[in-house]
Amino acid sequence: MSAARAGARVGSPDRGDAADAVLRALADPHRRQILRLVRGGELAAGQIASHFDATQQAVSHHLQVLARAGLVRERRVGARRLYALDPQALDPVREMLAELWPSALERLKYVVEQDQKNKPADPTRAGRKQ
Amino acid sequence: MTVPEVLKATVRIGATPAEVFPYFVDPVLMIQWIGEWADLCPEPGGLFALDFAKTPVRGQYLEVEPPRRVVFTWGVAGKDSLPPGSTTVEVTLTEDGPDTVVQLVHHDLPTEEFDGHLKGWTSMLDLLAHLHTGPQPGEAATDLRRPAPGGHA
Repeated sequence: MSAARAGARVGSPDRGDAADAVLRALADPHRRQILRLVRGGELAAGQIASHFDATQQAVSHHLQVLARAGLVRERRVGARRLYALDPQALDPVREMLAELWPSALERLKYVVEQDQKNKPADPTRAGRKQ
Repeated sequence: MTVPEVLKATVRIGATPAEVFPYFVDPVLMIQWIGEWADLCPEPGGLFALDFAKTPVRGQYLEVEPPRRVVFTWGVAGKDSLPPGSTTVEVTLTEDGPDTVVQLVHHDLPTEEFDGHLKGWTSMLDLLAHLHTGPQPGEAATDLRRPAPGGHA
């Protein structure tokens, strides 16, 4: 049912791309953990890395992914890089979520109305042709 | 940060409530508009199981009042963040002339501060990720790293 598949896409391409970057960033548990660490305020990269067994390099990579998705803001103070949560990055995702049911119901409308059209005439409703 | 406490949606359909209602309780009809597979037992306490964008949505029917009202719970199997039964979907069908107005309200979505929000929404977000990219045959359910197919803008 390709029409229904196509209808399953939600969001405009631009907003979809932004949401996609956020979703990919959120898909990793380490990155979600980083977001929990920095939601209370700025932390230096080293402080963040100290919460993980992973190498500083690996943590650095996660921070870059989060920064590219807009989920964290990076600020340099001397040699230090400070990171803080930017919750506004979740807005496009939230908008996609808000479209979940409206787009499903649009498919429902399409399907019901097609089924009504294709249904053999019901003599109790349409009257008999004789 | 504002987070919607409920999701609402409305649609007007050119059919009677009695014609629309089965699409919320009959698995064959339901998967025509949402999900790929369903197992439904439409009575209070009855199973509501729907695989949707490769996500096992699970819950139970709370109210089944044909042809005007159906309420079911909605969660994701195996996800602590949005466990089966943790949110509620309320559907009302109202006759309006030759049409039916369908009102849907999804209640009890996690709305707390960021941490709860993030955890609570992750399951819904997984589902959205698949809707957005379009389910690909054979695609691993958790593979979000795959580049977007096509790349058309």
